[in-house]
Amino acid sequence: MGGVLDFFTNTLGGLWSDSGIRALFAEGGWKNLIMILVSFVFMYLAIAKGFEPLLLLPISFGMLLTNLPMAGLYHPDLWVLVDGHVNYGEVLKEGGLLDILYLGVKLQIYPPLIFLGIGCMTDFSPLIANPKSFLLGAAAQGGIFFTFVVAGLLGFTAAEAGSIAIIGGADGPTAIYVSTRLLTGDGAITTGNIALAAYTYMALVPIIQPPIMKALTTKKERQVKMEQLRTVSKTEKIIFPIAVTIIVSLLVPSAAPLVGMLMFGNLLKESGVAARLIDTAQNALMNIITIFLGVSVGATTKADQIINIKFGGVMLLGVVAFSLGTACGLMFGKIMYKVTGGKVNPLIGSAGVSAVPMAARISQKVGAETDPTNFLLMHAMGPNVAGVIGSAVAAGVLLSVIG
Amino acid sequence: MFSYPVMLADKILRGTEKLNGTQIVSMTIIGILVVFFALLLLVMFLYCSGSIFKKAAKGTKKDAPKKEAPKTATPKAPAPAAKAAVPKAAALASAAEDDAEVIAVIMAAISAMGAAEGKQYQLRSVRQVTRGGSGRSVWAQAGVLDATRPF
Repeated sequence: MGGVLDFFTNTLGGLWSDSGIRALFAEGGWKNLIMILVSFVFMYLAIAKGFEPLLLLPISFGMLLTNLPMAGLYHPDLWVLVDGHVNYGEVLKEGGLLDILYLGVKLQIYPPLIFLGIGCMTDFSPLIANPKSFLLGAAAQGGIFFTFVVAGLLGFTAAEAGSIAIIGGADGPTAIYVSTRLLTGDGAITTGNIALAAYTYMALVPIIQPPIMKALTTKKERQVKMEQLRTVSKTEKIIFPIAVTIIVSLLVPSAAPLVGMLMFGNLLKESGVAARLIDTAQNALMNIITIFLGVSVGATTKADQIINIKFGGVMLLGVVAFSLGTACGLMFGKIMYKVTGGKVNPLIGSAGVSAVPMAARISQKVGAETDPTNFLLMHAMGPNVAGVIGSAVAAGVLLSVIG
Repeated sequence: MFSYPVMLADKILRGTEKLNGTQIVSMTIIGILVVFFALLLLVMFLYCSGSIFKKAAKGTKKDAPKKEAPKTATPKAPAPAAKAAVPKAAALASAAEDDAEVIAVIMAAISAMGAAEGKQYQLRSVRQVTRGGSGRSVWAQAGVLDATRPF
């Protein structure tokens, strides 16, 4: 009888010591508990408020899974560089499900594939019809580089400053791509931190941008009605992705994976001969990658790496980056307004931060608030899609210089 | 082929190092300049290719045989000179007939709608309105509004 009782208590004791409940109340377990609550907040924002649900929901669920103690889905220690390399053999041998999915992030596979799908869905006609839009897309990238200054002055390392700055590009896949390449995984800031900040602020674009737009423009400027864009021929649309790939890749080779896949997707779309491939790239493939990317990036938000002062800094600088990007685009829009004698509405400048198509919608909305008969949407789409290319080029610059 | 460690060794800034003032300023200026330069190249390319395509489009239009003049003038057509008084009168009469037909068809549609509701409608007048500042027709305006309302 005594043996049975011993076995019973030993088994129960073993189960208890292996249980997540015990770990939650062990030393440091409170951090996991907080992160689980934070994941609930993000789930609420995604489900109830509709904030970027396609990515915020997988990210928040990845956050929940990774912070359940003892579940062993993701192991940050496997991703720490040893002699400058990740031990991929160890990852495959010891890794959990989310470690395996994270391979696609670490090896920079997912973000370019997301860009492939985006390319299939993007119409570059407003940009081809009005090439000046490219300059607005370039100007808005000022947010990235000015945030780099702020982050550098605050004492962040080069890799951290570059990863934080890229949030200003307002492009989730680009931010993940850059931060995965730059951050080693053993610092206080992870790709998950950057992705969380980037997607949170992308969802908050309708709140962040309008006050800046109204503060930096006059009513007269906001009322400018722009000339109707010319019709772009099919041949031009086909040549465009090929030319952009060649020019950008030759100039900034580090941007080639992102720009190349974006333009490949666009060529598939514009060629009109690959309907099946477009269907796969913009639907099934993109959805699969979105799930993998979201849940595995969410997994990198382990409690220790989120609940620290540096993550607060990332969130603070993230909003600075977004605001500076918006302001830079608007200021350049104002310059174009002056130079063209009032033919360009500066509001389209703020769409130069990527965040497609939300930023262009905001330009349309703020313009329509001033004059309901003003339709800026198509004009704003030019800088908006130029911003995607611009932020990929900016990412390439950061990756070329920082190692 | 460059191996990854060689590429890392070539980087100007080590990721793990903190930045000094010179590095921050240089990086910012170079970054902005490179982005502008890359996109400026694309702008130049688009302007060049755009002008070629515009010329090609114009050439195609010139080569194409001229279409016959429309038999009826649109209501908005400017009045021709006094010398062409006879053709003008014919054109206007024809245009007026067309207008009357269109109005009759629209009225018939409204009557049919009224009949379904058990009500009678009467067309009192058809007035020309000047367009608003947008330069779009009423229908175009309605179309654009419909397309952009969700935003």
